[in-house]
Amino acid sequence: MTPDDTVLLDHGAGGRASHAMFSKMILPLFHNDALARQDDGAVYPVPAGRMAFSTDSYVVDPIFFCGGNIGDLAVNGTVNDIAMCGADPLYISVGLIIEEGLPLKDLQTVLQTMADAAARAGVKIVTGDTKVVPRGKADKLFINTSGVGMLFEGVDVSGSRARPGDKIILSGTMADHGIAILTAREGLTFEGDLKTDSAPLNHMVKAVLSSGCEVHVLRDPTRGGVGTTLNEIAGQSGVGMTVFEKDLPVKKQVNGVCELLGFDPLYIANEGKLIAIVPEQHAVQVLDIIRADEFGRDAAIIGEVTDQSVGKVFLQTAIGGRRLVDMLTGEQLPRIC
Amino acid sequence: MGLTYMKEFRDPGLAEQLVTAIDQECTRPLRIMEVCGTHTMAIFRHGIRNVLPDAITLLSGPGCPVCVTAQTDIDAFVALSRQPGVIVTTFGDLMKVPGSGTTLARQKGAGADVRMVYSVFDAVTIARQHPQKQVVFCAVGFETTIPTIAAAVLMAKDQGVDNFCIYSANKLTPPALAALMSTDGISIDGFILPGHVSVITGVDAYRGVFDTHRVPSVITGFEPIDILHAILSLVRQNRSGVPALENAYPRAVRESGNPKARQVMHQVFDVCDAAWRGIGRIENSGMALKPEFSRFDAGLRFDLHLSDVDEPRGCACGEILMGLKTPKACPLYKKSCTPMTPVGPCMVSSEGACAAYYNYG
Repeated sequence: MTPDDTVLLDHGAGGRASHAMFSKMILPLFHNDALARQDDGAVYPVPAGRMAFSTDSYVVDPIFFCGGNIGDLAVNGTVNDIAMCGADPLYISVGLIIEEGLPLKDLQTVLQTMADAAARAGVKIVTGDTKVVPRGKADKLFINTSGVGMLFEGVDVSGSRARPGDKIILSGTMADHGIAILTAREGLTFEGDLKTDSAPLNHMVKAVLSSGCEVHVLRDPTRGGVGTTLNEIAGQSGVGMTVFEKDLPVKKQVNGVCELLGFDPLYIANEGKLIAIVPEQHAVQVLDIIRADEFGRDAAIIGEVTDQSVGKVFLQTAIGGRRLVDMLTGEQLPRIC
Repeated sequence: MGLTYMKEFRDPGLAEQLVTAIDQECTRPLRIMEVCGTHTMAIFRHGIRNVLPDAITLLSGPGCPVCVTAQTDIDAFVALSRQPGVIVTTFGDLMKVPGSGTTLARQKGAGADVRMVYSVFDAVTIARQHPQKQVVFCAVGFETTIPTIAAAVLMAKDQGVDNFCIYSANKLTPPALAALMSTDGISIDGFILPGHVSVITGVDAYRGVFDTHRVPSVITGFEPIDILHAILSLVRQNRSGVPALENAYPRAVRESGNPKARQVMHQVFDVCDAAWRGIGRIENSGMALKPEFSRFDAGLRFDLHLSDVDEPRGCACGEILMGLKTPKACPLYKKSCTPMTPVGPCMVSSEGACAAYYNYG
């Protein structure tokens, strides 16, 4: 591979070029027994119990941004979706749809980031697929990841299990990912550190779920942000919610960009945060466990579940006012993940 | 040490003191209009309405540029997007506003080249990058944005970017206030005057309207403390019976505003009459390109075949913009008109009164 080489239609044709790409670029990075067999699908052992299965596609534009790229986003995203089911993610698949002409070194960087992200999360990439489409038929690189994981024993988390009196914990600052993408895409330059928060949350979830604390809901507030996710849970569980503005963690510089551009951080995407809804008596302990994780240092109890105004989320504003936090309508920022 | 203007102006203790003073000093029902859409949003975002006494009714005025854009102008933007070889550039809010038939967003979905920009200068850049295309900017704004649009036209002229042009639906704030005050049935006890617009116009621009109608008026900023302070001033002016035109935003607004920005604006645009959605034609409230800049006028460059259209039946946007109705009194509100399916522009723009009522309750 020379620095100027690009992906060609040949790389997706299933012939010699495809095989060379797999054996030279992909297998060495993702290496594991199931993948090395090069069969049509992966065969792997699983312990007895219940499984969680999830899939997600990534079309973020641009594919490189501050703090990450489409590769770790795709791995972390599926890892987190499985973790939010109350499961320990084990195996994932990777489907690449590549636009002809993508520099091979860009692909190499993305694949390396995926391998690193999988290692950090402790999951194996066991099967995959590569397609190349003519220039203009896709935008540089789209990735689909699917994954499976084993549920932790006795755990039952669901968006429908929030109960009046429960506390709402957010594992860190809001809106970091959406603002990082926006600034990268629009070429906006702001002072400070506007990095994506993309991170695997499965270790944090494992620590919480194996602590003996009861957890009713786990959800990662990705597209639509914390505001939309809380509305979904309130609707699913048939409860109301009150969130306290003064307790909502937002980085100062992210808040500054939001103020400037007229965005509400409550509706901006996160890729490395979770919402945990837990009974009041376990809230402080769960908060401490989350804060002990490297991706949970800024965690806070941001609100509580009520039996008032079922299906609605209210914000107690810093000045003592109260307003509705509705679900996001349409797109605030397109193609953020 | 610098003030961030985000902490100090959101101080809960200070807010409480202001609310208590408003409570104690407001002795009769007052109808206060915030003219600017950004104020409407700030009032809802910070939950200001429900910390105020019931005696105070806040009304949202004609100060969201998207909301007052006439349907004919929206139709023009859509018609432009249908022209072959044209790239239409616009601020995001306009994308979903329905014209008489469709929206720019739907046109985009159907294959038109419609691009969202954050600055009019991005539109000039796009024009430079695509010399074989015509790039039109949908100019919808008040005094805050008109000077930058004027500067972009000057830049395009200086740099010979001849494939750039604008469709001007720009509007001026003080003439709209004057028209509003001269309308029968209007009853407003105080105005919260726009902050950003006043940075350009200065306090002086409101002098004429104020001297004629003697309605208490306070220019203020967008933080909760700014807004509560303005409301307290309006309560006090009403109580004392001595109306004043007050600048409570001196950290940004000067008496004479920004003369340089106005000079650029008037170098490129002439004042003209303009149609305001829901309100109708208001004299001297619009901005048309001067004859020497007519080659940058999309309305002249393209043959758009526009006709005047009736506004959707039942839509109360006009009465809402004039403070005669609140969104909840509109028969379409939350029924056929929602942010997913907006009928009038007050529902589609994030700064529109109806969207604010809907989203923030």
